[in-house]
Amino acid sequence: MALDDPHVWPSEPPHADGHRPGRTAAGLLPFVGDEVLPCGRLLSRVWEQVRDAAPAADPHTVSCPHCREAVEGLATVTAATQALRAEDPPGLQTLADRVMNVVRAEIRLGRLLPLADPDRELRIAENAAAKVLRQAADTVPGVRASTCRLVPAGEGTDVRVTMTLAASLDRPLPDRVDQVRRSVLHSAGPYLGLAVTTVDIVVVDVLEPWPPLSPGHPTGGGT
Amino acid sequence: MTQRIASPQRGCDLPDGLLAVRAAEGDEDSFAVLVQRHNRSLLALARGMLGNPQDAEEAVQDAFVSAWRRLPEYRHSAEFSTWMYRITINRCLTMRRRRRPPPVPLDTVAEPATGDARSQPARSAEQDAATEALSRALAELDDGQRICWILRELQGLPYNEIAHVTRTSEQTVRGRLFRARRSLQEAMGPWR
Repeated sequence: MALDDPHVWPSEPPHADGHRPGRTAAGLLPFVGDEVLPCGRLLSRVWEQVRDAAPAADPHTVSCPHCREAVEGLATVTAATQALRAEDPPGLQTLADRVMNVVRAEIRLGRLLPLADPDRELRIAENAAAKVLRQAADTVPGVRASTCRLVPAGEGTDVRVTMTLAASLDRPLPDRVDQVRRSVLHSAGPYLGLAVTTVDIVVVDVLEPWPPLSPGHPTGGGT
Repeated sequence: MTQRIASPQRGCDLPDGLLAVRAAEGDEDSFAVLVQRHNRSLLALARGMLGNPQDAEEAVQDAFVSAWRRLPEYRHSAEFSTWMYRITINRCLTMRRRRRPPPVPLDTVAEPATGDARSQPARSAEQDAATEALSRALAELDDGQRICWILRELQGLPYNEIAHVTRTSEQTVRGRLFRARRSLQEAMGPWR
């Protein structure tokens, strides 16, 4: 079973979301079970506004006794929900560590590439080299490397690098790309010992110029 | 030789999509940033779905490991967060199906206060009991309603994203949310 197969999802009988024809004032299709309050508002909308926590934005909700009653009816659930939302699940770092232990045990090396040392037949894993070359590209201001592939070029120890970048547009792209190419070649040759003949670069995405990283960088959570 | 740079801070200015591309090519440091960035919300989601912290941690760990293995096939047709929500939800549903007894509600066994610096601020016993009652009521909802409620109320996702995660319409999401709230309201009646 694929993890995001649609068929494993819970479904409801078709009638569960059957709706009466016609739309409400807000342009929403009503659904079975929803209530129109005496003031004309849908109960489902009033409850939804509670979640958005901006009652002041809607003077009606503040002054209307029917809407207030609806909000108060859900107050217990709302308070308990807020408490549940505030709970910080324990063991986050432990979980992250456990995940990364499994991941690091499953490192994907990629192909093995020859280093420019034919006598000793040294090899380097593509993914290890790619990581170093991405870091080299990342040192150029306004640039972040995306994909980085290395393939042998011909029979000898020559290697071809293909890289895609995201870049901000506050400076001319050709200059940026040249800088990246120089930085990549500098890392590939003297540091890794790869005989890179070509560095193909494609800019595939535009980055907003970003402020410098602060130590307390907030982490997103899908919101 | 080069020094290994594996600080979790490295790359945390990068958007999810870029980190996912790098991780798909075997860059585990980029994946570590994604794990740090999303584990909190996925764990909250799994706890809401499964009811107990141990199962939730297992589900999220499995989901991340599956994601790591499947990243090379991840086509970016959905946001990384959406993709992770789906994998985690499916993992939770699979675990629930495998489990015979109904899920043990969250916090059924009161955990002793640890008093360490990271513990929650003390809540009143009444508040604890109300939260526990809500968790019980949540466990009684059907999966579709519970998933919509968690994504909306605990994760704060907008309707269109919930519809995208659950592969339904926004209208269906609205209906499920309304029914979930109504059921929870009824279940919490004694607490008024």
